[in-house]
Amino acid sequence: MNLDYRSVPYRILENATRIVGFLIIGAFSGGSRSVTSLAGLLLVGMVLVGIWEAAEVQAYEYRIDADTFDIYSGVVSRREREIPFDRIQNVDIAQNVVQRALGIAEVRLETAGGGGDSEARLQYVSRQEANRLQELISKRKQGDVSERDPGARNDILFELDRRELGILGVTSANVRLLGLLGGLFVIASPVAADQISPRLSILLLLGPAFAVAGLILLWIASGVQAVLRYYGFRLYRHDEELRYKRGLLQQYDGTIPLSKIQTLMIRENLLARSVGYGSLAIETAGYAPGQSDSVESAVPIAKRERVLELARTIEDIGDPEFERAPKRARTRYVARYTIIVGLLTAIAGGVHLFTDAVPLWFLTAGLWILVPPAAHLKWKNIGYTADENYIITQSGFWTRRTTIVPYYRVQTVSTAQSVFQRRRDLGTLVVDTATSGGFWGGDAVALDIDIEEAEELREQTHDRFQRSLEQRRLRLLRGERERVEPRRATSETEPDRRASPAE
Amino acid sequence: MTDGGDGVSGDGPDRLSEDRGERTAPQSPTPRVDSTGSESQGTQRPADHSTPDSSTDRLSNSNAAPESPLAEPTRGRLAREQARATGLERGPISEYTTERRSLDSAVQIQWASRAVILAAVLGAILTGALAGLDAPVQFGLVGIGVLVALSVVWVVMSYRIWCYQIRDDSLYLERGVVTHVRTIVPYVRIQHVDTSRSALERALGLSTLVVYTAGSRGADVSVPGLKPDEARDLQQRLKELAIEADGDDAL
Repeated sequence: MNLDYRSVPYRILENATRIVGFLIIGAFSGGSRSVTSLAGLLLVGMVLVGIWEAAEVQAYEYRIDADTFDIYSGVVSRREREIPFDRIQNVDIAQNVVQRALGIAEVRLETAGGGGDSEARLQYVSRQEANRLQELISKRKQGDVSERDPGARNDILFELDRRELGILGVTSANVRLLGLLGGLFVIASPVAADQISPRLSILLLLGPAFAVAGLILLWIASGVQAVLRYYGFRLYRHDEELRYKRGLLQQYDGTIPLSKIQTLMIRENLLARSVGYGSLAIETAGYAPGQSDSVESAVPIAKRERVLELARTIEDIGDPEFERAPKRARTRYVARYTIIVGLLTAIAGGVHLFTDAVPLWFLTAGLWILVPPAAHLKWKNIGYTADENYIITQSGFWTRRTTIVPYYRVQTVSTAQSVFQRRRDLGTLVVDTATSGGFWGGDAVALDIDIEEAEELREQTHDRFQRSLEQRRLRLLRGERERVEPRRATSETEPDRRASPAE
Repeated sequence: MTDGGDGVSGDGPDRLSEDRGERTAPQSPTPRVDSTGSESQGTQRPADHSTPDSSTDRLSNSNAAPESPLAEPTRGRLAREQARATGLERGPISEYTTERRSLDSAVQIQWASRAVILAAVLGAILTGALAGLDAPVQFGLVGIGVLVALSVVWVVMSYRIWCYQIRDDSLYLERGVVTHVRTIVPYVRIQHVDTSRSALERALGLSTLVVYTAGSRGADVSVPGLKPDEARDLQQRLKELAIEADGDDAL
């Protein structure tokens, strides 16, 4: 099958900016050129791009084989790619406003380890074809060739209402960034202004005003962005997949196969937490669709109880109670922050020594009053819990992250102990998983727990991992024998999953 | 750079022949460097591998079964599960496991030369900065000295701390001076295993083993400072153990 012919004009449009840029350079270098010759150039450029894009679209062909999704592409250098259905992690459909008007959509197929780019991008097919592909791939992935009544088993798990959308908008600002920016404006701008020119010291008064204005702008911008992104968010279960739809201008329609879920992460930033809300991220090994640098957020915002409940429909975590880090961890944070304050004071003093600009440099030491509460807050938000099936860790004050890892998904287990931790017999447990989630990753990290406990947990996690593996294998064997019988409702690949509300 | 097999430089003719012997009889692991890091007698050892000599070979198990313990795939998975559950597989698998081993002592030269170069560069920058500030340049020289001394201490400590062990079901690593890290890599999770040799490593007769998992910190798992044949032997063992562990990759 080929791409939709309507993708040619869209792809030309996509390249229009490049052509215009090219023309501007041409106009400047060419000196005195008449408008007609410029228009002529534009026309030639458009025609060339049009021919190229038409050839590319013409050359792009995809085929659905028994076990693989095949793509043949390329005008000059041909490329053939076969993607096995059971390796496909996510199938996402993206549509922006222009594409919606044209009735076309982009389909992205994600596999594990794809790195930064999608395994396959169909630019573009018709909306109906996109839906058909999504449906077809999810069926093939389950090894089910028979046609089933589509849409009959859609079971809505979560729908974002207006109130929640509003809360999302208000709380989505990055608190830490806001704090940093505010601090910089309030502290740095008057000092800098004073340095550059005494006349600018009027900024001493304006600095805080700028800071407030900047904060509000940033807050509004991130709120609007979040609202646009998650407008009309809906999460539903469709056979062995979770699906979601979201977006106002750019619409996304994504799939998350239940059997591919690696970890769950509950994130509650300071603002959301203070009103009892949080978000749930479902992480797979594919890369995050639609958000190149952050994990896919399955539920952007909901009451904490609701988030937990949703997490429980995916992983049977019960009601986790966290073990807090020992008190000496808090002492450690006091020491750490004291060192930081000391360094800041030393830097300020050093600057004063050389420039005479900071006569009140020793006031920096006054920052120390923030140290005990900061250490306490950091300590208070750290915790972990481990039962027979899951290890769950928690950390972070600005954004508290609760990571839920089923033992079956463990890749490697480590304990780490820095020199500072060694003094207090503390250690950190790191449970690595195959998630692709950005900078913070999906790793479960139990910070600053007793070192002996950490070592014990490491061996225990590994043992439980091996046990879960064996159980899964035995169940798979049994499942293979059962396959001859009518297909059961439970997932064969994930025997650990609880029966879902859909069944 | 991956396992070059027989083409890797630094191997004498006798090593090559022994290597081939290993390949044809991969079932019996060869004795390796002992845990103190001194050279093994591997090169002088007769090329007969079918009967491991337990008197000189403390690492391999003497109760080796005549047939390969890893001829498993012929048996059913269920049978293997049962065998594992009853502990019957312990014997054969332990043939592949090792004691805790430290790295080859030559790795200290490798690390030290790297650290000294780094110290020299940093010291030069410091000296240049001091010269630019009209401060006494001697401080810079002292700085270089301190950095070099620190890095030597770091190298020795790092070497003492580093150790690895092939366990029943996982690779175990211990490393790190400032942050001491102990890692378990289950065989099931191993995606592939590389051996690589940089120019410096080739000059010192060393090799690095790199173990890849699908985890986000996957490429972190590497064992430096191995003799090339030891690295290749480990690679072979891990490969077989990973195949034996037989995990669906869970992705």
